[in-house]
Amino acid sequence: MYGWYLHHHGIYRYNSMMKEYMRRYKFDGDYRLRKVFQCEFSTYIRQIPTDYIVPIPITTTTWQTRGFNQVVGLLREVPYLTALQTKIEKKAPQSSKNRQERLAASQPFILKTPAKFKHKKILLIDDVYTTGRTLYHAAELFHQAGGDWVGSVSLAR
Amino acid sequence: MMDLSYYYGRKVLVNRLAPVPAGVRVLPTIEVRSRNIRCYRCNQLTAKTIAALPHNEFYCPHCINLGRVSTLNKFYHVPEPNQFLPIKQPILTWHGKLSPLQEQVSLTVAQRMARHEHQLLWAVTGAGKTEMMFAGIAAAIRRGERIGIASPRVDVCLELFPRLQVAFANCEIALLHGRQELPYHYAQLTICTTHQLLRFYHAFDNLIIDEVDAFPYAADKSLLYATKHALKADGGCLYLTATPGDALLREVRQRRLAVSYLPLRYHGHLLPRIKVQLVCWRQRLKHRQLPRRCVQRMNKSLVRHHRFLLFVPHVVDLSSVFITLQAYFPRYRFATVHANDPDRLIKVQRMRDGEYDFLITTSILERGVTFPEIDVYVLGADEAVFSSSALVQIAGRAGRAQSRPTGNVILWVSSNCRQVRQATQQINYMNRKGQRIKDEVSVMQ
Repeated sequence: MYGWYLHHHGIYRYNSMMKEYMRRYKFDGDYRLRKVFQCEFSTYIRQIPTDYIVPIPITTTTWQTRGFNQVVGLLREVPYLTALQTKIEKKAPQSSKNRQERLAASQPFILKTPAKFKHKKILLIDDVYTTGRTLYHAAELFHQAGGDWVGSVSLAR
Repeated sequence: MMDLSYYYGRKVLVNRLAPVPAGVRVLPTIEVRSRNIRCYRCNQLTAKTIAALPHNEFYCPHCINLGRVSTLNKFYHVPEPNQFLPIKQPILTWHGKLSPLQEQVSLTVAQRMARHEHQLLWAVTGAGKTEMMFAGIAAAIRRGERIGIASPRVDVCLELFPRLQVAFANCEIALLHGRQELPYHYAQLTICTTHQLLRFYHAFDNLIIDEVDAFPYAADKSLLYATKHALKADGGCLYLTATPGDALLREVRQRRLAVSYLPLRYHGHLLPRIKVQLVCWRQRLKHRQLPRRCVQRMNKSLVRHHRFLLFVPHVVDLSSVFITLQAYFPRYRFATVHANDPDRLIKVQRMRDGEYDFLITTSILERGVTFPEIDVYVLGADEAVFSSSALVQIAGRAGRAQSRPTGNVILWVSSNCRQVRQATQQINYMNRKGQRIKDEVSVMQ
């Protein structure tokens, strides 16, 4: 469907224990818990050869309530780039758009400096991979910008 | 538009960017100091390094399970207006009768509540504490006061709720605890865990704290703070317990807390005395044996058809004691229970129904359960899991029935220790007070 394949690594299974961890870390907002997997997760990421490491961003609303990006929280001594930005959520109802508009609108991210990623390797980082929708949206932007290879790592899948 | 009553006497957490509704006051969430932060809900200090969020924001990790308090939030608060609907008469719909002694204590408690005093009701296990606060609560409702009843234990709250619904059938009662999904609603009478008190701010005219000592290691300081936080500045507070801890007793000695005693049980008898016996049971248990004294004691109970509870220190001790006793008492029916036992309630019910001759248990059965006419034995009462108040509660399981107001309470210890001595002293102290009352009554007759 895209003409390319996303190389994904999920470190842990997204089982009930991991769900409980995510609930407490992300939804209760206990930022201290980032340290549980920080070292292991960062070590894993560092050994993957890549040009840029890009964490999935969170929305402005999440910044105002949660106060931290749970993906970035998991990184320690990892040189990452905040190349992605979330679009401002529009209030227009989905039903008012045609198919083309819908597909275009469903892309939640903007790539800030596309030129930078031409012929580069990009590694995307997320906390949980479920359907892969989010990561595919992000990867699409890097492919459009002419990236050579896009892979992704998540703590859980 | 949200009903303003949602904010009455409470601190409700909202996003700091939210627009403020008319009539609502905004209170700060966190005090940022040079090296640490202080939470305005739970009053705990946290080092900045631990409490830090990105972009120089901070949160409080201590009370996070009540919903995270951070610098990204603010509190909404409306001062308690005591705006309650008039209640249909009668307020008190309880038709039981108090003994003359209970009546007297109940009256004192009610008078002190009317004066908004801070007081302790030290009533022995099985004295009928709950019924003695009814008069005070009824009078407070009549005065239009907001009343809170809190306990450190959810179990206690859950047990109190239906009893109060019966006793105050015309009054609306709110029940709040951590495992509940029901939304909050404003009511004149609120039952909640002491933890939930932190959500209130200068709400209650009178607050009752039941089983204050239920968690022996519960930080007394944070409980005291929660109480102060939830009470109005001139509010009264009643602590109920059978086993006051050091902190409360200190308050009593320093005369900051008025105290009423009820040293006799509802049936008018003294508490069974604790006997302490030195035995080496752990070594014997390794060889699937128990000291002869213990076995003889238990045998005596069984022969006389007195059922009993045998307390052991840890869950892991249950199975070895069970197997050992199977060899000694093959003809008797018994089982083990612990907190996470899926059949816990069934087993307790079977014990109640007389289907077991005895139960081997950890300290979960220390309070809140009544089996009539039983004896109580504790193996390893000197081990750290048994605090002095736990031991007093355990001893209080014996002699609760009018039909057999006495019972054996024996603590088997491998060395003498402070908790055991304190428990014995507390029971003897209440019994001396009880004996004095009994003597006065017999002189009058």
